[in-house]
Amino acid sequence: MHKRAFGAVAAIGATTLLMTACGGTTTPAQTSGSTPTSTSTSTAAAPATTSATAAPTRDANADLVIWCDSTHGPAVTAIAKKFADAQGLNVQVQTTPDDKTRQQYQDATKVGKGPDIVVGAHDWLGEFVQNGVAAPVQLDAATAAKFQPSATAATKFNGQNYGVPYAIENIGLIYNKDVISTPPKTLDELISMGQAAVKAGKAKQVLSMNVGKQGNPYMAYPFFSAFGGGVFGTKANGDYDPNQVIINNAGSVKGGELLAKLGKEKILSTNVDGTNVAQLFTSKAAPFLIGGPWDIEPAKKANINYGIANLPTVAGGGAMQPFLGVQMFYLSSKAKNAPLAQEFLTAFVPTDDVQIALYEGGQRPPALKTAYDKVAAQTPDIKAWFEAGKGGKPMPNIPAMNAVWTPWGQAEADLISGAATDPKARLDAAAKEIKAAIAKG
Amino acid sequence: MNKSIYVALKWVLIVVALVFVFWLAAQLAMQGAWLAVTLTAFVGLCILLIYSTKRAVPMKYLFPGILALLGLQIWPMLLTISIAFTNYGNGHLGTQEEARNQIVANSVQEVPGSPRYKASVAVKSGQPKATGPLKLLLTSPEGKTYVGDPKEGLSELPEGDVTKSTIGKITAAKGYDVLNAREINARGKDLGELAVPTDDGGGIKMVGLSEAFVGKATVTYDAAKDTLYSEVTKKTYAPKNAFYTATDGSGDTFSQGWRENVGLANFKTIFTDPTFRSGFFKIFVWNVVFALGTVLLTFILGMLIALLFNHPRLKGKGIYRSLLILPYAIPAFVTALLWKGMFNQDYGLINQTLHLGTDWLGNPWAAKAAVLITNLWLGFPYMFLVCTGALQSIPGDVQEAARIDGANAMQTLRKITMPLLLVAVGPLLIASYGFNFNNFSLIYLLTEGGPFTGGNATIGDTDLLITLAYRLAFSGANPSYGLASAVSIVIFALVAIMSLPGFRATKALEEIN
Repeated sequence: MHKRAFGAVAAIGATTLLMTACGGTTTPAQTSGSTPTSTSTSTAAAPATTSATAAPTRDANADLVIWCDSTHGPAVTAIAKKFADAQGLNVQVQTTPDDKTRQQYQDATKVGKGPDIVVGAHDWLGEFVQNGVAAPVQLDAATAAKFQPSATAATKFNGQNYGVPYAIENIGLIYNKDVISTPPKTLDELISMGQAAVKAGKAKQVLSMNVGKQGNPYMAYPFFSAFGGGVFGTKANGDYDPNQVIINNAGSVKGGELLAKLGKEKILSTNVDGTNVAQLFTSKAAPFLIGGPWDIEPAKKANINYGIANLPTVAGGGAMQPFLGVQMFYLSSKAKNAPLAQEFLTAFVPTDDVQIALYEGGQRPPALKTAYDKVAAQTPDIKAWFEAGKGGKPMPNIPAMNAVWTPWGQAEADLISGAATDPKARLDAAAKEIKAAIAKG
Repeated sequence: MNKSIYVALKWVLIVVALVFVFWLAAQLAMQGAWLAVTLTAFVGLCILLIYSTKRAVPMKYLFPGILALLGLQIWPMLLTISIAFTNYGNGHLGTQEEARNQIVANSVQEVPGSPRYKASVAVKSGQPKATGPLKLLLTSPEGKTYVGDPKEGLSELPEGDVTKSTIGKITAAKGYDVLNAREINARGKDLGELAVPTDDGGGIKMVGLSEAFVGKATVTYDAAKDTLYSEVTKKTYAPKNAFYTATDGSGDTFSQGWRENVGLANFKTIFTDPTFRSGFFKIFVWNVVFALGTVLLTFILGMLIALLFNHPRLKGKGIYRSLLILPYAIPAFVTALLWKGMFNQDYGLINQTLHLGTDWLGNPWAAKAAVLITNLWLGFPYMFLVCTGALQSIPGDVQEAARIDGANAMQTLRKITMPLLLVAVGPLLIASYGFNFNNFSLIYLLTEGGPFTGGNATIGDTDLLITLAYRLAFSGANPSYGLASAVSIVIFALVAIMSLPGFRATKALEEIN
């Protein structure tokens, strides 16, 4: 009898295992703050706490569900509460682990368990449209005109507008004011200032910029854009065209030649990568850092007297213009509460209060012009970041961009390390690789 | 003991299992997965048949194992194989109809120059708000008021019959019941489909709770020819390679594709990809060297340390042993990133302490060495643990006998200890080889397969087949699970073929006993 009882236990165990195998799409239930009520009293929206990797589970009683990553959780929760109070609704903000939002949102939406709105970067758009998880947002022309043009451009795909932007992010030149009194206007000035600092013993190297063994084309892009180079040409409607790869056009090749020269002069090095790029600046080894708003907190913590300036201009070209990253609210194509979600996006997000509240949470220039003006008047850093991004183009949001990063980055790294001596040939090879990958579909 | 208690217990457990199976089936039925429901029901029936009678005693033991084998091994394998023959991946997730509907729905644009209405949603007085036919109560920018019906279109609403808010939105109208925010939201699905036709062929649609716009789909579907026509690009799009592609040969496509069977195309891609073919042999050789080298190095180091710490006269073994296990206890990804930092040519600890200028992560040979060193660090504690256990189980009298017979330490090790040790550790070495053959995370975290010295970004000097497969499947514009499945099947075949001699060798070892 012993044996038989054991057998039954084992069977149950096995069935449980089978269930776990089949239940790949279900995620462990999360507790979600306050218990929602179905009356029209406003309920405070509390961010749902999630375990390290699991996707949040939506609450069936919420009138509106928003997902964002945990970094943006507090700011989004605060504005969601305002909306909930004004409308007398129960709005729920749920957070995902920081780098998992994009995937978890798509997975959950496919099986009908996603939120109504998701907060994310604009370069997810192509993939979202492709996989049918984002819906157009019909902003009226007057509201759309209230945003910075670069921000609205970033939320467009194939001529259609998806989502509503709230912040713009780009890289710039961060410098140590204790070493460099006035920021350089040209790259040559930057180098001579840096070399003087090294000579005076105030620094160990001229510049810190993330390159790495596999390259970092997001950081290197300004060197190409300064000469009119880039990634993709544009279609008639302004969209990036995946059939026009221009990483090896005349301007891009000039940029490549400049990178090779800077690598030879040891201004740039593939040994500076994500692990040490910020630390080289905060430890005062380098007086210049090409970096973004995320580098400011560490600099403040290290008591660096930092300044933010535009990227310099280059000899024989124009200004180095960075990629713009735009933070935005997406509307789900499977939103269960589409009317409320649309109301939130078209009437609530494009207001100063909301944009400024989001700025306070994220420390990036707001996408709404009037909100930006208010913030910039009080915060020089935000003004400096915005100025540094002026004239920059949004990072391509078309799916083909996925095929670009790796070959393009390797070409950049090879030019800087000297592994490739002919910039034109190396960029041609990278373009060939990219085109083949795009053709693969 | 009392037999009936066990019988009762057995039945309780059977019932619990069946209740669970039933619950699972109900959950699956709600999701409409009928195949899974049938399978679950079958499993439930098996449980009942096998465990309720005394007929199938061997099956009682085998059943849980068979179930686990089918569910956790065979099923994923079948799934992988079936995906390998499709184009499943980003942009190819759903059906053609879903893709087409998405394209048309996403093409709705505001008609240029059309007004934006202030709008509210209402039903005819007396009709239920939850189900009644919806009407839009609209206020034009000039202040004129209308009622919109999806069939009859716009008709004017007399000024005297309506009450308007400060922004001009109608809050009450004679003969209509206006819906509040929650009520509108509850009808979201109906509203999404509701469009009040206008003269120019567009439709007035709600945006949010208090605004409506005149929209028009710029893409139309021709069901007879299965083509799409875009008014924006003035092009016709026909199905090609699971995308709607422009028929004018410009390569213009809508990015929403669909899932379809592609036969052997994925395998063809693998075997005809020029970079894959040129790099395959090089990567294959390194993959074998890496896996063998790792196993040998970690085993030798682990065994030597185990031998040392197995010495009866050594004091404080507990402390040493715990310290040695530390590299094993720290998560491998943390260690890999730490080593990556230490291998940095300019700023890394290794070059700074040893005053070397080696470009550890940039030189192909140095990078290979760096990978092996890091994996040695990660792997030797495991071998140390295993060897310690195995050594302790070797009877001391055998070694004593050898000593009495005049064997020196080296001879005892080679002729007595090693063979006995290998019997116990041999299968684990093969397992370790199998694991390291596909050690994706180490390579990915330490070198990402690099350095890439061939002037491309596809074939790296420390790439394993698995990292190459990952890059191949996911480096395109659209990550393709179909291609990834095909690659994993190819790799499985390779590993299986190579493991055969290994398993034969273990059998030979076992014959020592």
